[in-house]
Amino acid sequence: MSLEPSLQLDRVIHEKGRLAIMSLLAAAPKLSFTELRDTLNMTDGNITTHIRTLQEAGYVSVTKSFEGSRPLTTCALTESGRKAFASYINLLEQIVQRAKP
Amino acid sequence: MNSNAAAENLQVIRTLMERAALYRRALAPITLFTGGVGVLAGIVAFFLHVETLRAFGTFWLGVAVVAVAGAFLLARRQSLKDREPFWSPPTRRVAQALLAPLTVGLLVSAISIAGASSQDKADVAMPVVWMLCYGCALHAAGFFAPRGVRLLGWFFILCACGVFCTLFFPEPLRNSAAANIVMGIFFGVVHLVYGTYLHFTEKQKDAA
Repeated sequence: MSLEPSLQLDRVIHEKGRLAIMSLLAAAPKLSFTELRDTLNMTDGNITTHIRTLQEAGYVSVTKSFEGSRPLTTCALTESGRKAFASYINLLEQIVQRAKP
Repeated sequence: MNSNAAAENLQVIRTLMERAALYRRALAPITLFTGGVGVLAGIVAFFLHVETLRAFGTFWLGVAVVAVAGAFLLARRQSLKDREPFWSPPTRRVAQALLAPLTVGLLVSAISIAGASSQDKADVAMPVVWMLCYGCALHAAGFFAPRGVRLLGWFFILCACGVFCTLFFPEPLRNSAAANIVMGIFFGVVHLVYGTYLHFTEKQKDAA
């Protein structure tokens, strides 16, 4: 017997802030920390916490490099992050479909 | 989770994914710079009597090179300041969208300049071609940039059609002086007005 789709939703992604970060990263190969922060209007601390959680779950990879002489932090979805995000969307679609007459 | 919340989440995801693909670098400084260059060039061309087709084409292509180089440097400076990669996917998409119409404009201009005799006078025909190509370029880039860019593209296309009608008017309304004025107004004043609008609206968004 399969579980209700809503019970299978990935709790790591389901949180509002992390879902927003995953959505942005799903549409771009990589985004800088500032691009994510400015697009989502989040504070540095807030976004750092969410990214760390996603990183610990293995969904996001963080790369530190230099653009000119300035440090540049970029984030990207990992393969397992992409799969988890796709399956999260799939479950949301199932929930919507089930409610249709 | 109920179906309404799920549908709402799907909508949020779609909106954010679309936003990630947009070019969000501040356009106000770039537009104000190109507008300033356009106005200055229009004044110089008008008072220096840039009249022949060759001189007109060469002069304004030179102005375009200065404007593009300046815009490039401003965008580069912004990306360094914001600690963002310069050649980001949205920047690449905007550049690709701009490339085809601007290449058409450049080729048509080069052929016209090469084929013109030293006596041929400029009229508003070349500005019409440039306005059409530029309008199409802005419209294409507007799919990866804020909505106003696409509207500005339509503005250029419609105004080019209007200016095209002046080709059927008597000589003084379509001669080289008129061509320089058209260039100064559309590539100068219009950009300055749009840049000023962006300057204030982008600041408001930052403050929000």
